Amino acid sequence: MLAWHAVLFAQERFPRPEFESGYVYPEHQMPADRAPVWEYIDLAVLIGALSLAAWLALKVRSRQGLLWLSVFSLAYFGFFREGCICSVGSVQNVALALFNKGYSIPLTALLFFMIPLIFALLFGRVFCAGVCPLGAIQELVTFRTVKLPRVVESVMISVPFIYLGISVLSAATESQFLICRYDPFVGIFRLDAPYTMVIFGGLLLIAGIFINRPYCRYLCPYGVLLNIFSRFSNKHLTITPAECINCRLCEDVCPYDAILPSDVGRPVVDPEKERKRFLTYIILVPFFAAAGAIIFGTLSPVFTGLNSDVRLAREIRAEAESGIPAVSLAALGFKEAGTTEAELFEKEIQTHERFRKGSVWMGLFLGISFGLSLVSLSTRTRRTGYVPHKGKCYSCGKCFQYCPVKLNKISNDKA
Amino acid sequence: MQEISCLPFLLFLPWHWDHGLSAEKTVPPVRAKGSATVTMTAVNTQKMNNDSNKYQSRRDFVRKAGKVLVAVPIIGLPVVLSTRITTAGTVWQIDPYKCNTCGQCKTHCVLTPSAVKCMHNHQMCGYCDLCGGYLRQGTKTINTGAENQLCPTAAINRKFVEEPYFEYTIDEALCDGCGKCVKGCKDFGNGSLYLQIDQDLCVNCNECAIARSCPSDAISRISDKVQYIPKEKI
Amino acid sequence: MIKLEEKDLKILRGISTGAGIFTLIVAITMLLSIVQLKALDPLDNPAIVSVKEEFDKDHENAVKAEQVRALDLMSRKAYFSSRRQVETGSYLLLAGAVIFIICQRLIADSEKNLPSVPGEKTDQSTENIRYAKYLAGTVAVVTVAAIVSSFILRNELPDLSGKSIARAEKKKDKKEKTKGLESVDIDNFSPDPTNFPFFRGQDGRGIAGGTGYPVEWNAENGTNIKWKTTVPKNGKSSPVIWGDKLIVTGAEGNDCEVYCLDKNTGEILWAAPASGLPGQPDVPPDTDHDTGIAAPTAATDGNSVCAIFANGNLVCLDMDGKLKWGKNIGTPANIYGYSCSVILHDGHLIVQFDSDEKVSMMGFDTATGELKWETLRRGRSTWASPSVATFNGTTQVLINGNPEVAAFDPATGKELWAIEVLSGDVAPSLAINSKFVYAVTDYARLAALKPGPGPSIVWEDNMFTSDVSSPVATEHYLFISTGVGDVACYDAIRGDTLWTHYFMDQFYASPIIADEKVFLLDRSGLMHIVNAGPEYNLIAESPIGEPSDCTPAFSDKNIYIRGRNSIFCISQN
Repeated sequence: MLAWHAVLFAQERFPRPEFESGYVYPEHQMPADRAPVWEYIDLAVLIGALSLAAWLALKVRSRQGLLWLSVFSLAYFGFFREGCICSVGSVQNVALALFNKGYSIPLTALLFFMIPLIFALLFGRVFCAGVCPLGAIQELVTFRTVKLPRVVESVMISVPFIYLGISVLSAATESQFLICRYDPFVGIFRLDAPYTMVIFGGLLLIAGIFINRPYCRYLCPYGVLLNIFSRFSNKHLTITPAECINCRLCEDVCPYDAILPSDVGRPVVDPEKERKRFLTYIILVPFFAAAGAIIFGTLSPVFTGLNSDVRLAREIRAEAESGIPAVSLAALGFKEAGTTEAELFEKEIQTHERFRKGSVWMGLFLGISFGLSLVSLSTRTRRTGYVPHKGKCYSCGKCFQYCPVKLNKISNDKA
Repeated sequence: MQEISCLPFLLFLPWHWDHGLSAEKTVPPVRAKGSATVTMTAVNTQKMNNDSNKYQSRRDFVRKAGKVLVAVPIIGLPVVLSTRITTAGTVWQIDPYKCNTCGQCKTHCVLTPSAVKCMHNHQMCGYCDLCGGYLRQGTKTINTGAENQLCPTAAINRKFVEEPYFEYTIDEALCDGCGKCVKGCKDFGNGSLYLQIDQDLCVNCNECAIARSCPSDAISRISDKVQYIPKEKI
Repeated sequence: MIKLEEKDLKILRGISTGAGIFTLIVAITMLLSIVQLKALDPLDNPAIVSVKEEFDKDHENAVKAEQVRALDLMSRKAYFSSRRQVETGSYLLLAGAVIFIICQRLIADSEKNLPSVPGEKTDQSTENIRYAKYLAGTVAVVTVAAIVSSFILRNELPDLSGKSIARAEKKKDKKEKTKGLESVDIDNFSPDPTNFPFFRGQDGRGIAGGTGYPVEWNAENGTNIKWKTTVPKNGKSSPVIWGDKLIVTGAEGNDCEVYCLDKNTGEILWAAPASGLPGQPDVPPDTDHDTGIAAPTAATDGNSVCAIFANGNLVCLDMDGKLKWGKNIGTPANIYGYSCSVILHDGHLIVQFDSDEKVSMMGFDTATGELKWETLRRGRSTWASPSVATFNGTTQVLINGNPEVAAFDPATGKELWAIEVLSGDVAPSLAINSKFVYAVTDYARLAALKPGPGPSIVWEDNMFTSDVSSPVATEHYLFISTGVGDVACYDAIRGDTLWTHYFMDQFYASPIIADEKVFLLDRSGLMHIVNAGPEYNLIAESPIGEPSDCTPAFSDKNIYIRGRNSIFCISQN
């Protein structure tokens, strides 16, 4: 037998046999196709579940209903459809489509991105309430509630902004889909995952027993968008079905710190100082934006390591400079393939440039978010009753049972 | 108050819970100690009402403006992307002519066993006795003994057809996508064995984990109207 | 909230604790088994490998075969059973977790969740101010850390920003100046339609510039033969052309001459002697009886004409035949006779000196004849000629060698890269395109190389190899003609054989690509012209009526072929 290696991709070394015994070639069969119609069924279920969640949270006000809807969503979107495609990941598809002409986004992915946001704009975060399978699995393990010190909390809820920035950057530069790769629960849904991800998911769920919804609060990048959209919703879940009586019974009840107290009975403060602080923070916003853009633009080479072409180029360059041969599979594949080193390094430079531009925008976004969060922390809104924070509230309905106010139904109920 | 002695019934009667709750709490609770009581005069109430009306309308305006501002990019998104939307979905497939049989298809798929299977295009096969994909390098005897086989899971079946031709078929249930037979066939044979993603098994991840690390960039998204890329005689 | 009896609660608690512990145990067991699997893949374990090796040494031994079979069966069983275990384990895990969660939910819901009585009502705004301070503080710390670390790491990351700006500017300049050139990339090879300055054309690539070359001619009835000239002394060197001048060399015994013909009329403009140089050996080295010492092809750059002969005579003349300088650099004696052609690059005359004693590259100053550099090469002598190419921004002189294909800097002679490829008698020169370098010789292989630094073999084949004729490559296709009469077309990037054709006669002359056609001259003097494409398409076959081993020259819609006795000019009437 010839004992040498040739990297030829198609070579008919041995002629096709001419069978005399009437042998018939078996047909080159492929396994069954996948049915693409399921993605559209998912869309229909999504819209139905969102509508149901909105009705349950706003109209019927039933926490149990929302919990059962969560169970259904977990079963359907989670275990049955194995967690893909999901709205959280669709952010990456949209990012990839916006910045790469070669990629066509499937309509279902785009709609999975848009529809929960539209519902959030109309009814608040009903997606998080009972439709998102990631949220559902976390909601179902919330037996105990331990509140983190508010200081830690207020810092950690800024992590999703950074995660959103990095994952959009990574997706737009065709580097990686980070959200999908580090999704802790999809492995549980598939019952099949690299064991590290299962451990991460398991630990997150165990932590979620106490620090409820950890992924939603401290990691979910789609939550940043839902947060923003939900703030402008007219119809939103309310704690009380009617007028708030300021009984303060719901004040410490929300595990997610999403209940804003009324300002009835609060001590009076100096409005002048407050206005000055408010204006200062408003003026500082563009500075933060610029600072963010500059810092992240300069730091962009750090992120380029996400891109496999850049990593390969570094490896090949290191080999040329140090003489130690590159042995990774990617390097060996490169050596056997048609791309020249010049082309690889050219690609590396182009990728660096894309990362730089993307990082500038990311820095702008983070700077503006940071500035606006400081602004919002220095504003004083007047509230006569206890209302949920429209951005943070997941519309889970846990607060319903603590409100003593009952809606008097003019019906044939007993008096 | 309902006495529930049989646990399973609990799960099917959720609406009991609210009833129980409302039946309990018809009496307003006692105010907790330490809460400040606010006394307001009529004038103050009036002023506050006016202020709060202005304040409320300002807030409404801000909210309406914000709503429009935030809704515009969302409604505009499909317009911006209009040329780049497809109603078809996509599936992942390996280009058999780019694949360099590195072996990562077995290890990097999120599923165990991998959704990548070896497939055989018999039309390209040479039906050789001394098959480069079936037999290990360096074997001296040609038979189906385990000491001669290349496939670690014995997923290739060898069947005599006629002199000197043998038919080789892959048992997909046993194949784990390691690519050793593909490499052997490519190096020493006609290249009729090739690795391909089985859409029956593949979960169609948003980003294929194998594609991420494929050294020859052989895995790409293709429209699901064409679900398979078979290796065909060029 | 439902009220559960104490005993129900106890049962629930018991179940949930049981389920929880069960889940934990299953999880830990699975984790351990997965870690073990990762460490030792049952299909790949060293025991099997060693048993198989032992069996290979002694393949008649049935006992050893049985051992291999038994171990193989065990390992396969282990593999499949471990897979099943993980699968069942995951279902058990899920079941346990679900039971645990349901029980815990029921317990939690049944507990009296009285709302906590809040204390003094704190002012949200002052609290917010505190949070704002902490947020700002954290962001400030992280930002400072990021800036500091970016300075520390600055040296580790390549400085590409400067390069990218420089490259962008270079691109802009190039685009403004040169609109006709193809891709901006690295290799700006664009052969001149008039000048054919070295063996196998500009840069020694085998590709001619210009279009409109004739495809049909017949020397017997004179069709399209413009002129036919005989030079006084014959030789195997191929014609080279600059402007209107065609240069060939000839020799008889130890007498060497360089001839210049007018390419339009065939008239001999001048004949310059190249003998009588100090150091010239009395007896010329042994060669084949009809090869002679005028086998290497001359080189010209429009200012000088340089030629070397197999007795070691190296001369440099001006375009009118006057000797600028000449010397004998030692006789490159080797078994078949010296045949390496010279090339000129940027004021340097590059000589490949291959003899049985010494194998080197030499660089002379074209104006003065001073030896600027000499770099010794490894291995044995070859009969190939150098080519010029630009890779990774560096212009380099490339040589096919035995065993190494190597590249040298034309100005300093420094070896840039080398890779072991061939063995045996290496006579064909290299084929080059913008990506790869192709080296071949008979009884070895045809290999496509990615040029260095860190060169590698991208693909290779041994179905069609040539012993004398050099292959030629475009961006997509590689053409090779062999000494048995085969012509093959390969996919230049992937190495697939696209088509082959067997012609009756052998090929010694190297194929030249001009006008998207491949011109293949066989030893009998018949030119086969095929399409330079992925499908075999014979356009014409045209004879010059006498045998020929020389590679033709192309210039201004005319083809110049040197036969054994005469030089022909083929021109469309």
